[in-house]
Amino acid sequence: MKDEADPKQAKADKKAEPPPLTLEDERRAASGRLPGNRYVRIVRPAAGEFRRSRGHYVATERSLTPESRFGRRYQRLRRFFLGKRLGMEEEADQRVSKLTGLAVLAPSNVSSSAYATEEMLRVIALAGVGALALALPIALVVIAVLAIVVVSEIRVIHAYPGGGGSYIVARDNIGIVPGLVAAAALLVDYVLTVAVSTAAGVIAISSVVPELGDGRVGLGIAMIGLLVIGHLRGIREAGALFAIPTYAYIGAVGALIAYGAYRIWVGDVPAPVMPRDDLETTGVTAVTALLLVRAFSAGAVAITGTEAVANVVPGFKAPEKRNATLTLLLMAGTLAVLFMGLTFLATRIGIIPDAGEVESVNSMIARSVFGDASVPYYAVQLTTAVFLLVAANTGFSGFPRLAAVLANDRFMPRQFAYQGDRLSNSFGIVALALVAGLILAMFGGSVSALVPLYTIAVFLSFLLSQVGLLRRWLRLREARWWLWAAINAIGAGIMAGLVLTIAITRFLDGAWLVLFLLPVIVLLLYAINRHYLAVHDALTLTDFDRPLPEPSPPAVIVPVARLDRSALQAIAFARSISPHVRAVHVATTPGSAEEFKKRWARWAGRVPLDIIESPYRSLVEPLLRYIDRVNERDPRPLTIVLAEFVPRHWWEFVLHSQTAFRLKANLLFRPDTIVINVPYHFRDTGDIAGEAATGTVRSQEPG
Amino acid sequence: MQVKLILAPLAGTAVDPDVVRVATTLAKAWKAQVLLVHVIEVRWNMPLDAVLEADTERGEVILDEALRLAEQAAVKVDSELVQAREAAAAIIDTARDRSADLIVLGMPYRKRLGRVYVGKTVTSVYVGAPCAVLAYRQEETR
Repeated sequence: MKDEADPKQAKADKKAEPPPLTLEDERRAASGRLPGNRYVRIVRPAAGEFRRSRGHYVATERSLTPESRFGRRYQRLRRFFLGKRLGMEEEADQRVSKLTGLAVLAPSNVSSSAYATEEMLRVIALAGVGALALALPIALVVIAVLAIVVVSEIRVIHAYPGGGGSYIVARDNIGIVPGLVAAAALLVDYVLTVAVSTAAGVIAISSVVPELGDGRVGLGIAMIGLLVIGHLRGIREAGALFAIPTYAYIGAVGALIAYGAYRIWVGDVPAPVMPRDDLETTGVTAVTALLLVRAFSAGAVAITGTEAVANVVPGFKAPEKRNATLTLLLMAGTLAVLFMGLTFLATRIGIIPDAGEVESVNSMIARSVFGDASVPYYAVQLTTAVFLLVAANTGFSGFPRLAAVLANDRFMPRQFAYQGDRLSNSFGIVALALVAGLILAMFGGSVSALVPLYTIAVFLSFLLSQVGLLRRWLRLREARWWLWAAINAIGAGIMAGLVLTIAITRFLDGAWLVLFLLPVIVLLLYAINRHYLAVHDALTLTDFDRPLPEPSPPAVIVPVARLDRSALQAIAFARSISPHVRAVHVATTPGSAEEFKKRWARWAGRVPLDIIESPYRSLVEPLLRYIDRVNERDPRPLTIVLAEFVPRHWWEFVLHSQTAFRLKANLLFRPDTIVINVPYHFRDTGDIAGEAATGTVRSQEPG
Repeated sequence: MQVKLILAPLAGTAVDPDVVRVATTLAKAWKAQVLLVHVIEVRWNMPLDAVLEADTERGEVILDEALRLAEQAAVKVDSELVQAREAAAAIIDTARDRSADLIVLGMPYRKRLGRVYVGKTVTSVYVGAPCAVLAYRQEETR
């Protein structure tokens, strides 16, 4: 009572009170120049780094600025390559318009016009030159199938505006496993799109500069790196960056088709350029139904890439559904015009594919229409080469979004849902680049080795999407459900046929690898989900109405390697959290054990000490065994307090044995064990230098 | 003229970004520091040190936006939030207490009775400031 009444003591207590552990403002009154002009300065301890909003703190960009010089330099470098950080409020600004969306999402789909006609002609040519005229009707069937797919994808966009495409449709309407099959197929498709497009682009470059041919894997990986930087800057900037090649290709090939059609219309049909290496076109095969199906499946490569838009609907500006639909229609319309136009020109001019694959059909069409070595011819070739190179854009837009959807559904690691500094799914972008780069290296940068791998994956995802939608219409019976159901039933039938045809005819070409990989990926996704569900069940607070536990002071063990300032600091801390503290020291010789005992009595005698003699000089293992045995007798959760010496510079770490670090690593997975690090920073010991001068410290080096 | 500290009062109006740009441009040339100040005017029926959460949050947003803008100019910049009965008096007193060498004032383009309106705060600071004052009027809004 006396203490409470004593104002001096109260003042002393108040002085001893530590400052509040908060970022709350402090208000300091100040008097102005004139009487009555008092004002209050609101002192904000973290001004500029945190601001308050609706009763909580918001970290500002300034709080992310590193304090070290190295950190600031690294941040400047990052900003140079990736651009400035974007806040969540800027998310709406990062969404793409129809035209930018088209530039980012169309490359995979529209670029197939560069080779779909050729793929089709190669199969038909087996039945002779006369059969090449069949290419146009087959192309019309491909366009009809494209129309079915587009109609279905529009329904997907409207039914599932959250993105995810075929995965969401299949998961919601057929079941989790078909959904995962669709997801796995799409993931494989995107990875292979990046690998194939990059390989094709690099070959286009090495065609012009043959010296680069030897290093095509390295060049391909460098190109992937460039695309990574573009996409880490955000989808909007990536769209702006890659819009020029997209629109240049569409313009150049559009001009080729228009001029070629005009020449045919006025009766000036261009003379066909002959292939350097003739195909066997003497009708070695009859025009059978199987040949037509094979030709159709080869031409159907034009449909690939259509799925990209439905996967990224939330990335469009509002109204998202409308913009995504218009982009899809623009994309499919562009592809249809280019594909039909090129097929029309090829059949009317009479182009025969080059057996040696030295020159593409499109190049021969352009040479026939514009003439050899003409400027428009080179323009078509150049824009095609660059466009093929950026066709990987679609993979970089689709994969991270789909991975984020899967991560939110807990089928992929949560890191894939993380949005980076520029609001892009950075983890997905980097992961895609790594896997695509690895595949590119494994296949030596060869396009022909990669192409058979990926068409089957995308058609499988289309098949599951069509079946999913069919089941949806049959279940919901919305307005005109019978029409949508009929469209999807036809689409499902065609896709099933395509999947079977490709699986059979291209099994040995590489389709087997995808058919093997898909179930492996599905199992992996499923296993990840099982893990997350188990963790969720273990950690959930639902139906957990127990009060916050109030544990009793823990049993604390302080391993002490050397008795120095760092060890004493750890012991002091241990005593502050519990009265049940025991230190343990591992000595390698009886002499050092005796020496340690003496020093212990001098500096920390009040804390009980166990010394373990380790004649085999092992430090960590005896300590771990000691902890195990002590814990067997005391069932309380054990707390291990570790003294850790932190040198001034990172490179000085190698000069210290870091026993605490090794012990911490070993204790990481030990159940019911709390490990507390008590760091002792070398730069904090300002008094050491002075004491060292008088020779009172550093009798022992920290370990 | 030796300028070491430039004080830039911000009221959360459209002229704020221009004030920050002018202050940082001058600070860069003079190698001076910029102090951004926002004054919360407390009504007479409340205590001067009353906790006005909404006003404080608004003030913090104004200062953070300005800080972000100022930091892009790579000058040394600080911010201060002040509560007072009258903004002008608080600006003058802060300039005196912090030994500011220049105050850069912003005037939003406003008209009253057909004439450009110079607010009460600008006029009072112009008259009472202990240091040089630079007034920046926003361009005519069309």
